[in-house]
Amino acid sequence: MAAASGCLFCARPMLPRLCAGLAAGPRSLLRVSAYSTALVVGSAGPSPGQVAASRRSRTSQIARNRRLPGAPRTEKMAVDQYWGNVYPTAAAFNPSSVPLPIRMGYPVKRGVPPPKEGNLELIKIPNFLHLTPPAIKKHCTALKDFCTEWPTVLDSDEKCEQHFPIEIETVDYVSAGPSVRNPKARVVTLRVKLSKLNLDDHAKKKLIKLVGERYCKDTDILTITTDRCPLRRQNYDYGVYLLTVLYHESWKTEMWENEKTEADMEEYIWDNSPSQKNALDTLVRIRAAEKTTEVTKEELLASEIVENYKTTVVALKNEGETENNILQYKESVTKLLNLQALQ
Amino acid sequence: MGVILQNRAARVRVGKGDKPVTYEQAHPPHYIAHRKGWLSLHTSNLDGEGGAAERTVEDVFIRKFIYGTFHGCLANEIVLKRRANVLVVCAVFLQRLPPYKFYFLVGYTETLLSFLYKCPVRLEVQTVPEKVIYKYL
Repeated sequence: MAAASGCLFCARPMLPRLCAGLAAGPRSLLRVSAYSTALVVGSAGPSPGQVAASRRSRTSQIARNRRLPGAPRTEKMAVDQYWGNVYPTAAAFNPSSVPLPIRMGYPVKRGVPPPKEGNLELIKIPNFLHLTPPAIKKHCTALKDFCTEWPTVLDSDEKCEQHFPIEIETVDYVSAGPSVRNPKARVVTLRVKLSKLNLDDHAKKKLIKLVGERYCKDTDILTITTDRCPLRRQNYDYGVYLLTVLYHESWKTEMWENEKTEADMEEYIWDNSPSQKNALDTLVRIRAAEKTTEVTKEELLASEIVENYKTTVVALKNEGETENNILQYKESVTKLLNLQALQ
Repeated sequence: MGVILQNRAARVRVGKGDKPVTYEQAHPPHYIAHRKGWLSLHTSNLDGEGGAAERTVEDVFIRKFIYGTFHGCLANEIVLKRRANVLVVCAVFLQRLPPYKFYFLVGYTETLLSFLYKCPVRLEVQTVPEKVIYKYL
């Protein structure tokens, strides 16, 4: 034993104090140390016969003085005890603390699964013995003091959207290890509906062109995701700055914006388009051929037939070709050119 | 297959029927997640998480350390659980040392490992009178 070997090298006067300290342990240890220090360093040491005898007596003394293991806690548990005192926090499974006859493991052939004593499988798995419903209730009552009520004004999604139009999304990461930092935690996502922003037609079109893919037409939501700064607060500030800049820039009209060609247009506009010119020309020529009264282009434009044609063409170009659209186009063309219904 | 290319990983070869073997030793590695659990639980092996190598190196050191500190007293492998910052070492010991020595070694291990790894280390200890034999191979 380390204590015994230490005695050999320590000064004589310290010996009684050490022996007194060891009085708590098995008395054999005291005797051994007393025996070994009685022989001064420099003598030949104990003879083999004496050593063997001392060892045999020592093991029998250890066996006699060995403290028997006490009864497990399960036998001293009351039936109506508070389980939260046995497992107050998350802890590994302890077979002498859990009064259940659990068996776990693959059984041997013609046998049963191994019992819970010394069962490593039961220790390996995470257990929820510390999270029984009464324990959770206790946690909740303790946490209630730190909670505030949800404001009663915000009782529907629309009200939340109306008061808080911008949604900020951040993610916190927890992992097992000595470090709290996770580089993925700096990403910030900003979401806002364009209808909540004060934009006129030109500003809205310009904003959508500026942000490109970040705008979703179906839900009318602009999503800005920032992660270029190392800290979350910096990314949030950058996101808000981007939103501000986009808003102000979209309201300004630059000089080069009046060079917008038809290829840049987001949607089809019928006025001043080739379709309008062609339709009006055709109608004028029809009228001229029939030698009816001269009708001016403005009157033609205002007439219902041309309006009908305009709506169908715009629908076709903007929404794509659907059954409905094509049928309506056919009807408007037949009315325009005064053809009788083709079956 | 051939007689040469046989798996020898973590397998106790069948003998005369006198070799006592624990549940952990009796099951070769292909039974993990079927009949065995994992000895070390942490989040680093999940998708997109880092630090797996550091945790593994820590695990290896801790196993060797405890094997040496409680020499001859280990009944089975050590189970390591990491819960946020805390390292929980679950060990099953044989009753070969008097309790006061166990307590001292447990305190010594906890203090030394906490200073070494700069995180709280808890040792949850169980004792059994003998090794729990699953079967004899």
